[in-house]
Amino acid sequence: MTPKNNLLIGVVIALLVAASYNIGANPIDFVEGLPNLAIIADEMTEIEPTLFVTAFWSMFETIQMAFIGTMVGVVISLPLSMFAARNLNSKYVYVPVRAILAAVRTFPSILWAILFVIMVGLGPFAGVLAIIMYTVGFVTKLQYESIETIDSDPMDAVKSIGVSKWQLIRYVVLPESAPHLLSQMLYMLDYNVRQTSILGLVGAGGIGFYIINYIKFFEYGKAVVFMLVVLFAVLVIDWVSVKIRDKYIVKSQHGIEVSTS
Amino acid sequence: MELLQITKLSDFPLISTKKIVQMNNVYTSYDSKNYVLKEITLSIDRGTIYVIVGQSGSGKSTLLKLMNGMMTPSKGTVKIDYQTPNMNDKKFKLMMHNIGYIPQSLGLIKNITVLENTLIGALPRLGKIQSLFKIFPEEEIAEAKKILKQVGLEGKEYRKAYMLSGGEKRRVAIARAFMQKPTLLLADEIVSELDSVTAREIMNLIADAQKTMNLTAIMVHHDMQLALEYANRVAVIKDGEKILEIGVEGDKIVDFQTGNLTPDEIMEMYSVDAKK
Repeated sequence: MTPKNNLLIGVVIALLVAASYNIGANPIDFVEGLPNLAIIADEMTEIEPTLFVTAFWSMFETIQMAFIGTMVGVVISLPLSMFAARNLNSKYVYVPVRAILAAVRTFPSILWAILFVIMVGLGPFAGVLAIIMYTVGFVTKLQYESIETIDSDPMDAVKSIGVSKWQLIRYVVLPESAPHLLSQMLYMLDYNVRQTSILGLVGAGGIGFYIINYIKFFEYGKAVVFMLVVLFAVLVIDWVSVKIRDKYIVKSQHGIEVSTS
Repeated sequence: MELLQITKLSDFPLISTKKIVQMNNVYTSYDSKNYVLKEITLSIDRGTIYVIVGQSGSGKSTLLKLMNGMMTPSKGTVKIDYQTPNMNDKKFKLMMHNIGYIPQSLGLIKNITVLENTLIGALPRLGKIQSLFKIFPEEEIAEAKKILKQVGLEGKEYRKAYMLSGGEKRRVAIARAFMQKPTLLLADEIVSELDSVTAREIMNLIADAQKTMNLTAIMVHHDMQLALEYANRVAVIKDGEKILEIGVEGDKIVDFQTGNLTPDEIMEMYSVDAKK
């Protein structure tokens, strides 16, 4: 430990304490609040099994919302990412596209949901639109970043045949970035299921609507049924995406290892 | 009226002359200070195999990139069939359709099949809609399969490129180049890191194509032995300068241009190349 390091650690701790004081984060409150948690946990054990059917149907609705949102979002982001990639465009194209995308990403999906509830009214459709916006913002960024990291050798080799830019995208950029795209789609679907679960908070459909209402009325035993279903669904989706990843992505990663990059 | 406007030889894109490549006093640099290539003057006959030998970092790969327009010289002139190579020039782009270029890394697309990689060579002949939906005409597919058979990849058409061995990958790259119906083939270190049997098989493929397709093959090697065995002419590049050019007929050296080199220096160079 050099004196410089000690000083740095001291500064970080001082900042932590100051920030905690400013926002009123008091560890003692946390300890004193623990018994309340025990009360909630106790009430949560009073599960109402009759609600499982409703919970499964609302989860099914949530997954469908997430699925539509992810797929449509990815379809929109694919061409957008081609315009945002620096190795395919001049800066007069990618700078404005990136600026718009950054603006889209600024809002979390819950804010998009509020906006779309105002636009199209309460219900799952508003939630789907919110998920689409969120997916476009993120998948496009992930996608153009993976396009920018693809090997320049196949690009150069195919460019030297004198092909058009669209042929280059179709025959080099898409196949080279396809494993990344699949992986991003799975990640996004996984993420969007969780996202959609809370969009119900603002009336944009899905299972979150039930959770927030039962919690509001202190019916923790009912809320926990829905939470368990969310947990179960997320675990299943996780398991399925691991299987798909193993089958399609890990294999092609092997291909990357074989070539020199 | 159209005909009258053609006043220069360069207006005929595929004019047939004896010399296919002409370089005159070419200098190139990446950073405008140090020259990668200096004073390169060479001319290459149509339908011959021309091998450029040199150590890594001697500027050999740059020399190939000058010929397909991926680079332009800082000084001097490069002409391919009387045209100045430049990949951003529309007229030269037409010519690039028939210049096969195999980079050292081969540039295969690893997630698609051998057949699809080969068909990429036919892309310039494909319409917009066809290429968008990957619809290749039957005769192109038949041609690709014929070429794959010719390079010894029969039965492996539907393998993914990343599953192939090093030698097989080189065959795919050659098949892609042949699919372009090339007049000129530029191959960068295509047999390096191969065992001598496989290396000769690959070289035989190119030598056969030179005879049957009247192909001009310009290749970069670091193995002098193999170069002398297959080439009609061998040029030796050292530190960006051409220090030696040899004409070969059968197993005889018929022409020897050394510039200012002493026999001792040539011997030293040979030993350097043997060590790679």
